[in-house]
Amino acid sequence: MHVVNTTDLTKIYDNRYIALNALNLRVEKGQVFGLVGPNGAGKSTTFRLLLGLQKATAGQLQVFGEQMSADRADLRRRIGYLPTNPTFPKHMTPIAFLQFVGSVLGMPKDRTKIQLTRLLQAVDLAAAASQPVRGFSTGMLTRLGIAAALMNDPELLILDEPTSGLDPAGRKQTIELIRELSGRDRTIIIATHILTDVERVCTDVGIISAGRLIYSGPMADMRRLARQGTIAVEIEGNTTAFEQELHTLDDFGSVRYERIGSEFRITFLGTQGLNEYLHRVLQLIDRTGVELLHVDTGSDEIEEAFLRRLEDDRTRGFLRAAAWAAALEGAGSERKEEADAGIPGHPSV
Amino acid sequence: MQAFLAILRYDLMQLTQSWVSRIWVPLLIAPAFFLVIVASTEDELASETLAAYLVAVLMPLSALAVAVLTAGAIAGEAQIIADGILSRSVTRTEFVSAKIVARLGFTMAIYFLVMVPFSYLIVRYSEADISYTGLLVALFTGALLLTFLGALGLTLSTVMTNVMVSVLVLLFVVLISGLLLQFLGLSWMSTTAVLTRLAPTIRGETAGWDTFRVVFVFSGLTAVSVLTTYSVFRQRDL
Repeated sequence: MHVVNTTDLTKIYDNRYIALNALNLRVEKGQVFGLVGPNGAGKSTTFRLLLGLQKATAGQLQVFGEQMSADRADLRRRIGYLPTNPTFPKHMTPIAFLQFVGSVLGMPKDRTKIQLTRLLQAVDLAAAASQPVRGFSTGMLTRLGIAAALMNDPELLILDEPTSGLDPAGRKQTIELIRELSGRDRTIIIATHILTDVERVCTDVGIISAGRLIYSGPMADMRRLARQGTIAVEIEGNTTAFEQELHTLDDFGSVRYERIGSEFRITFLGTQGLNEYLHRVLQLIDRTGVELLHVDTGSDEIEEAFLRRLEDDRTRGFLRAAAWAAALEGAGSERKEEADAGIPGHPSV
Repeated sequence: MQAFLAILRYDLMQLTQSWVSRIWVPLLIAPAFFLVIVASTEDELASETLAAYLVAVLMPLSALAVAVLTAGAIAGEAQIIADGILSRSVTRTEFVSAKIVARLGFTMAIYFLVMVPFSYLIVRYSEADISYTGLLVALFTGALLLTFLGALGLTLSTVMTNVMVSVLVLLFVVLISGLLLQFLGLSWMSTTAVLTRLAPTIRGETAGWDTFRVVFVFSGLTAVSVLTTYSVFRQRDL
């Protein structure tokens, strides 16, 4: 079952700015879906549409299989939402605010108190529970926002930049909390531009650029995409001997390497033989007696895979525009269809 | 209904703690005390004292306070409203209804809490030239004018995003409407004209028809403002 299903969802502000451009997003029950994209890509707009805070200019939007709109309070009752940099009434304490959220949600008083106590402990705000929000740090505000989003124990949790503005410890804590929240039939959608966060917690990922979803698939596929290409080996000791012998390992004829200080960045032009080559590199390390400091098969390259996708999309965008212009100039309809189908090796999303 | 009550409680709490209320109420009470003392010692006419207080003290101060409290009701809290309230199980109708009831209810509570004891003391200690029906009509007319101003402020707060601009536009509209209505030959509809007729109204000298048309016009305008607020807010992107 699709918890979120959008078809050609489009949002244009004041006939001036296209925030979402025919977005087709599908999120299934139980997924932890990372919506990744640069600033201004349309992530927050997507969320505001999902919550019925804004009206779509065109397209279809279903949440829990039903049409979402401003008046669908019943659907929102099943959703928890953490906005970017959440704001709260400054004079209120976390307890007072969560009590207010509980009463808005129509929760019985007893249940509200039990739930808010549990949540304030879970987000590590129990000590600050009676302090006014005005003195809170960004991290504390985010944690209070998470607690508020969880008051109704939602089936769908939408987190917009949950680690934005947090220090490393706060980030780690938030990521751990999201990990704990996943599963138990709960669907989580996280918007972020911090790719390591997505990598740590998400089962699925979607890349959004200029209001369009240009990639959507399991995180494992994204990792595979990231991995194709580069391994990095950092060594210490007789690196000259290692470098000289490294040349002899390339049976495949498709390997290039680059030395950056003590790190060797080895790039494959294809994916064939990567495991075999890595095995040989490790043997070489053993043979030359250098000390292995770090080896990386490309899992950190997810950012590059993401940027590659964005770049591909931009290129396709230009090609599509050029093809469209050519079609307008009188080219045959056959040629236009060909161009619209995309360029080889870049499947249309 | 639960969401409506929760937002109503929250908004009333905010209003009672706001700096506007903390300034507004003492500024209404202090001159009222002064006038009661003067009226008791100088044999002033009750109708003139009540009308003077309404025109020179209560209405200008309250207009300013109501403008700030209502024109910022939605625009001033847009972020908190969208993220903290309307992203939860609340309909826009529930939200706007709670805001209208809280803001207009609070205004009326302050108005009557000041005016009822003040009217009693003035009638008791000054020369009683009033008609009780006239006094009730005058108090009701004052309440109606403030309600209209509050309703218009709420409408502006849904249309505009800047609180200061909303307040200024509201006050400007009220001031300019007098001139415009005079130009159109409808000066009886202006708030200034209604206020200047308060003393005769308190004495019971205003014709029933004149009272009726004022009540009819300002009730109608208030209803239009409220309906516009609902309509605009339901359509608005947050």
